[in-house]
Amino acid sequence: MMSFDNLFTRAKEKGFDDVQIFLTGNRDLSIEVFEGETEKYEIADTTSLTIKATKDGKMVTFVTEVINDSEIEFIVDEMLKNVEIITSTDKSEIYAGDPEYQKMTGMYNKELEDMDVKEKIDIAKNLDELIQHEDPKVKTVESQYGESSRTILLQNTKGLKLTDHLNSGYLGASVIVNDGKDQRTNFDAIISNDFVDFQPKELSAEIVKTAVDSLGAKPVPSKKYPIVFDRNATSILLSAFMQIFSAENVQKDMSLLKGKLETRIGSEKVNIADDPFRKKSSLSRSFDDEGVATKYKMLVENGILKTYLHNLKTAKKDGVKSTGNGFRGSVDATNFTLLPGDKTKEELIGSLQEGLYIIEVQGAHAGANPVSGDFSLQAMGFVIRDGKQAEPVALITVASNFIDFLTNIEDVANDIKTTIYGITCPSVKVRPLSVSGL
Amino acid sequence: MLLEKKVIEKILDAGMATGADFAETFVEENYHNNYQLVSGQIEKANGSKSFGIGIRLALGLQSVYGYTNSQNPDDMVNLAADLAKSFDKEEKTTRNPLMKLEIGTRHQVQRAPRDVPQEEKAALMKKAYRAAKNYDEVIKQVAVNLKDSEQEVLIANSEGRYVTEKRYRVRIFINAIAGGNGIMQTGAEGPGSGKGYEFFDNDIDVEEEAISAAKIAKKMLEAEECPSGIMPVIINNKFGGVIFHEACGHSLEATSVAKNASVFCGKMGQQVAAPIVTAIDDGTIENAWGSANYDDEGYPQRRRVLIENGILKSYMTDFIDARRMKCGITGSSRRESYKFAPTSRMSNTFIDNGASTFEEIIANTKYGLFAAKMGGGSVNPGTGDFNFAVSEGYIIRDGKIAEPVRGASLVGNGADILWKIDMIANNLKRAEGMCGSISGSIPADVGQPTIRVSSMTVGGKKEDK
Repeated sequence: MMSFDNLFTRAKEKGFDDVQIFLTGNRDLSIEVFEGETEKYEIADTTSLTIKATKDGKMVTFVTEVINDSEIEFIVDEMLKNVEIITSTDKSEIYAGDPEYQKMTGMYNKELEDMDVKEKIDIAKNLDELIQHEDPKVKTVESQYGESSRTILLQNTKGLKLTDHLNSGYLGASVIVNDGKDQRTNFDAIISNDFVDFQPKELSAEIVKTAVDSLGAKPVPSKKYPIVFDRNATSILLSAFMQIFSAENVQKDMSLLKGKLETRIGSEKVNIADDPFRKKSSLSRSFDDEGVATKYKMLVENGILKTYLHNLKTAKKDGVKSTGNGFRGSVDATNFTLLPGDKTKEELIGSLQEGLYIIEVQGAHAGANPVSGDFSLQAMGFVIRDGKQAEPVALITVASNFIDFLTNIEDVANDIKTTIYGITCPSVKVRPLSVSGL
Repeated sequence: MLLEKKVIEKILDAGMATGADFAETFVEENYHNNYQLVSGQIEKANGSKSFGIGIRLALGLQSVYGYTNSQNPDDMVNLAADLAKSFDKEEKTTRNPLMKLEIGTRHQVQRAPRDVPQEEKAALMKKAYRAAKNYDEVIKQVAVNLKDSEQEVLIANSEGRYVTEKRYRVRIFINAIAGGNGIMQTGAEGPGSGKGYEFFDNDIDVEEEAISAAKIAKKMLEAEECPSGIMPVIINNKFGGVIFHEACGHSLEATSVAKNASVFCGKMGQQVAAPIVTAIDDGTIENAWGSANYDDEGYPQRRRVLIENGILKSYMTDFIDARRMKCGITGSSRRESYKFAPTSRMSNTFIDNGASTFEEIIANTKYGLFAAKMGGGSVNPGTGDFNFAVSEGYIIRDGKIAEPVRGASLVGNGADILWKIDMIANNLKRAEGMCGSISGSIPADVGQPTIRVSSMTVGGKKEDK
């Protein structure tokens, strides 16, 4: 093991002003069941050390997995070489700390980690079996159980020392259904650190029903349709555009939210929060990677943009305080949350004479442009006719601009969920958007 | 030497104590650098060093995987013993003695990233920045990322396989943003190689690449929204090959074929594409971005003809999936790092040259979309349905390239589109990309000559008049 005091001393001796270490220990488990058998069983134990050092306001980072004293000289020399070529005039600093940090509860559940691995394999097998028997059209099932536990230590030469401990699990499955004429797939998962939340029965029914209902999906004629996006589809869209809230992107002219503070970017119904204290979420944290205390904040309130997400560097540039969003050397949200409304998803669908109910969008990493806000995404779902879910739809694209999308949100449902895309959100109803199909 | 042979033998033996019929170790050290320049200033110059071991055991079709980055050999042996608990046979399986395989590297590197001074790397980025920024006043922002890596691997298994390899990679990514009238558009180029820094001296001109990125951003700023509908689509060479990669390539990986999750299941030897289509995955191309001497199971990389004259000739397979499919191994196993169990993946995948010329294809198209440059895309391997973004598009009118259009996306089905390719040019070129799948994000080349798809759904935002 490396002595961090030795590292700090040596780095200072060689000319660095301040040094910070960020040590994470991860334990991961991943189980996959295919055709009733445990097909994949994966365990991992890794430690990673991120070292940041400043010299004359310039900061460099070195990440290493080789954590022992004999590496100190190499690491300090590498960092010295790198710091010399930095020309940025933005001053970076190592943080001395906040007076108070939120006391986190419900983030680490020891019971989940200590539970016999056999129970975890069994729940994945159980889900697999339920899905196999849910419908004769089910052809292939793959179910998964995963778990990760993370300890974090942050320590620096300004005397700050902080720790967090988190864990989280997921249960999910993907299915392929085939009726001899058409083949469709579906995937869904539950994320929590409480084993009680993993209910295979409900999950199985939901996954299969959607897949079977989608069989025979066809494009609809190209025109504008009012659309209800279910929470999964909404979360994919939000995750594709989440980075526009980063002050780093704003300051680099890489966000369409530049100059939009205190202006309307969404309808009255749009309320977006960054919630670092969400229980049972592995994205929750009491301090960010720079040691700044995290806090709950509204990014968008009744459609008005209230703040960007800041780390120390971007905050200094804008003359504000860091919002505690300095993650992975950049700026990132914790639990990015679109707050729920009070209607059910069914009520949103029921309010449309004619429209689309979209359950999945694909290609968000390519078909969504965070700089221009334009998106054009392949979508799948159902026709809505007379307030009811009707025939399935596929091979269409929904195109719009992210600001237009937010501005056209007419209603927000109450079915909030944290999806595998790391977003917490409900289903939404949107005024007509361009759909291209037939 | 990443790890002593006798430690590896101990790990393999511990793994096979409970009857596993296959054991494998993948030891890796990776040293990489990441530099970023924004607004003319170098903002990031970060290094990293990773080291770890991945251990895989299998019994029949059942496999287990574990990894650790502890440097302590005892922890590695304990991990193997932990994994072995998944099997419960009384008898220990015997393994073949380790025999070092040396085939001599095809991919020679002259200037390893470690030997190149930081100042030279900084100068390279500044050169790219200036070229893009000075291209036109509409260019508001340019970001340049430079990445280099040296990966050393040692792969050994219970069949006696024992190989080592050093792999180098360099890549520069230039992203230009053009702005005006309240809108912003981007253009990007990201050339990379399995060479060292001699790539930037001999193979490409970063200024040309930077200007190309700026040019696309400016063109797209001036472009109108793309109309939507079904029309012929001409997909350009180089990164246009992403369409085959995503829509067909992934469905030819054993990862999806072995599990009956591919539209190409049971189609070996059958016509799956128009007769003019020949597609190849070649992991042996000298110093190419997706090449290596060995795959990540230690088998020599190969050239695989996937489709020849429209007939399905080969899948891409790995050890476990080959067992499942009862077929041979094609040397296609890859992984991002020791943190991933390997599986069948593409290397450098491309559609081969055809008989037409680029000019003939344009001249023979009355109306359609010319996708000059593709963005990324994704595909559902179960159905083959895909979605691609077009990052530089033009309308073809009366056999000529007409006005630029932006915001277009191409939607279709992989199996279906292969039949609709009706013209293939003779200008094959490859381009570099990162490919994400279950064994992580890996460098892969896509490629093709310019091709025409007779009809395809184009998604755009232009309102119907």
